[in-house]
Amino acid sequence: MKRVFVCQDNVTGIFSALYDAWLECRKTGEAGVAVRGFLEQKLFCDYVESMPSAKKAAAVERMILKNLGETAARELYYAALSRDGEKGEAILGAMLAARKLRDSRRIMEQLQEPHVARVFELSRNVKNETHSFLEFIRFRELESRILLARIRPKNQVLSCIAPHFADRLPLENWMILDETWHMAAVHEKQKQWVLVRDVPDFPGGQLKFSAQEEEMTRLWQGFCRSIAIEERRNEKLQRTHLPLWYREHMVEFFPA
Amino acid sequence: MRIAKDMELYEKLAILSDAAKYDVACTSSGVDRNGDGTGMGNCRKAGICHSFSSDGRCISLLKILFTNECVFDCRYCINRRSNDIRRASFTPEEVCRLTMEFYRRNYIEGLFLSSGVLKSPDYTMELLYATLLKLRTEYRFQGYIHVKAIPGASPELIRRIGFLADRMSVNLELPTEEGLRKLAPHKSRKTILTPMRLVQNGREEERGELAVYRGAGEKRPRFVPAGQSTQMIIGATPETDYQIMAVAEALYQKFDLKRVFYSAFVPVTEDENLPALSEKGPPLLREHRLYQADWLIRYYHFQVSELLDEAHPNFNVLLDPKCDWALRHLEEFPVEIGKADYRTLLRVPGIGCKSAGRIVKARRLGPLDFGDLKKMGVVLKRALYFITCNGKMMYPVRMEEDYILRNLLDAGERLPDSVRNMGYRQLSLFDDQNYPAPGFTGVS
Repeated sequence: MKRVFVCQDNVTGIFSALYDAWLECRKTGEAGVAVRGFLEQKLFCDYVESMPSAKKAAAVERMILKNLGETAARELYYAALSRDGEKGEAILGAMLAARKLRDSRRIMEQLQEPHVARVFELSRNVKNETHSFLEFIRFRELESRILLARIRPKNQVLSCIAPHFADRLPLENWMILDETWHMAAVHEKQKQWVLVRDVPDFPGGQLKFSAQEEEMTRLWQGFCRSIAIEERRNEKLQRTHLPLWYREHMVEFFPA
Repeated sequence: MRIAKDMELYEKLAILSDAAKYDVACTSSGVDRNGDGTGMGNCRKAGICHSFSSDGRCISLLKILFTNECVFDCRYCINRRSNDIRRASFTPEEVCRLTMEFYRRNYIEGLFLSSGVLKSPDYTMELLYATLLKLRTEYRFQGYIHVKAIPGASPELIRRIGFLADRMSVNLELPTEEGLRKLAPHKSRKTILTPMRLVQNGREEERGELAVYRGAGEKRPRFVPAGQSTQMIIGATPETDYQIMAVAEALYQKFDLKRVFYSAFVPVTEDENLPALSEKGPPLLREHRLYQADWLIRYYHFQVSELLDEAHPNFNVLLDPKCDWALRHLEEFPVEIGKADYRTLLRVPGIGCKSAGRIVKARRLGPLDFGDLKKMGVVLKRALYFITCNGKMMYPVRMEEDYILRNLLDAGERLPDSVRNMGYRQLSLFDDQNYPAPGFTGVS
């Protein structure tokens, strides 16, 4: 009977399950990976819990890097951050498909292979969302001069966003709070940023912003108004580029 | 002229951003640079937009004029000296503070600094230089800076400021000398093209020297690393699309420009030499077609002479330039996805640079079908008339211009809202936009 390894929805969990499934495949010829929370039980499958372990995950990562190369490794990593429940199957499928290629480093080019196409689609979705948040994140300055941003992304993009801001704002204390996945990226001035998991829900209404924050918000709102050309008004185009759901924490869209 | 003293920063920003909004050359692309850890900022080659204003245009840079006082009297410009409007000027300190505070909140990707001509071109350029120097050295800002070269400024100043900016631009404004004479009496071909040439030469010199420096392992400031751009105003003067595109092509080839921007003319002042305010608003569709053609030239290896000619000097309103070209060259289609080379694939409507690249790589590893193409990003509703997979077309297609055109339009060929919302009243566009009546029949 096909064994399906059930894992937690994070990169370590998925990569650990891939490790187990890979070994199982070598033994019996078939295996599956499913993410907890998205499980759809099928009749002729045996569901086994996969224990997350940093060691197993690292081994899979090494294997991917060595055999599939850096580009493919990045695609698989992005796919693992997707909100899609079948990502485990897609990644495993792509890795198995790579074994059949003469040059396994070409695997992400073989878009006619359904699993590869799926990984490509998921990874593209994560990359696009990452880029959107690089654009649309807004930091607000607290009284303590700490910059705080809140996001509600669909995929687990926080770890893709944080390095960009660590490079950009090295002398600032800042924090990005992911309210979908309850994670935070915390950056202390001139230090490495860190990822914090299981962050509790955000306590609303207690934030104290700095005196300057209000002035800057007002200036920015004024700028966004005066930079628009009335004769070219086109809110539908604006929504295409900047869908409403991104605007929750964007100060220029706060009601005046 | 009204000059307000001690104006509040909010008001200044309102006036000086409003005055800069007609300048469209404001992307933040072209240079990749990490921060060095001592200040704030970095650059990403693809550019990053940070917001979109209610006209649907992206807001990437803090786009402002240093001052809207101006000694020039260009007819189309809201800041012309004979126009009675409120005037304001920033101080270098104010520009730096706004840039830094906006940047650290991730509102903007950098600064776009232009200016009216205060006293003289050199005087103005000195002010811009002082501002940028302060921003780069005192505030240690490492984000993107786009600065205007003021026509008529001295070469030395342009050289100095080029080492502080990522991109420079000089606006051509009007594609012909005649247009300039009529509408921008203080500017000429010469005063505009001279600084453009200076920037180009500066970049070329640097390329020669760079190898030497690299060997020595030294870090040195780079001269306008993101290249230069320009803008042309569309629809203020009677040039045809062919004339405009020919100028753009020459700029890309002879001046090594990174981008040419097209700005649909919005009448902000009344003048007997300018077209009057029309109910239809600015010629947005025309602007759109010019951008589409611009991409074909820069990324798709098309030449202007293939898209337009004297007998056919304007773009088709109903079809994008690539579809239009393909319909006039049906003898080259259909192409076989499994065999056609990259450049041939690029010429197929519905296939872009990325999907063409993916096709070329994927087909080495196995045959492709139409479903695979769709997943790769090919727009099949447009491409299906022009391609075969494994020798077969997706549906039986008659290779006739009228037939394909009708089907393309029925499939809801993407037209900008400005046109679609007009329904078939759009035909009135042909009357005054000097678009030819479309050469086809049988469209209901």
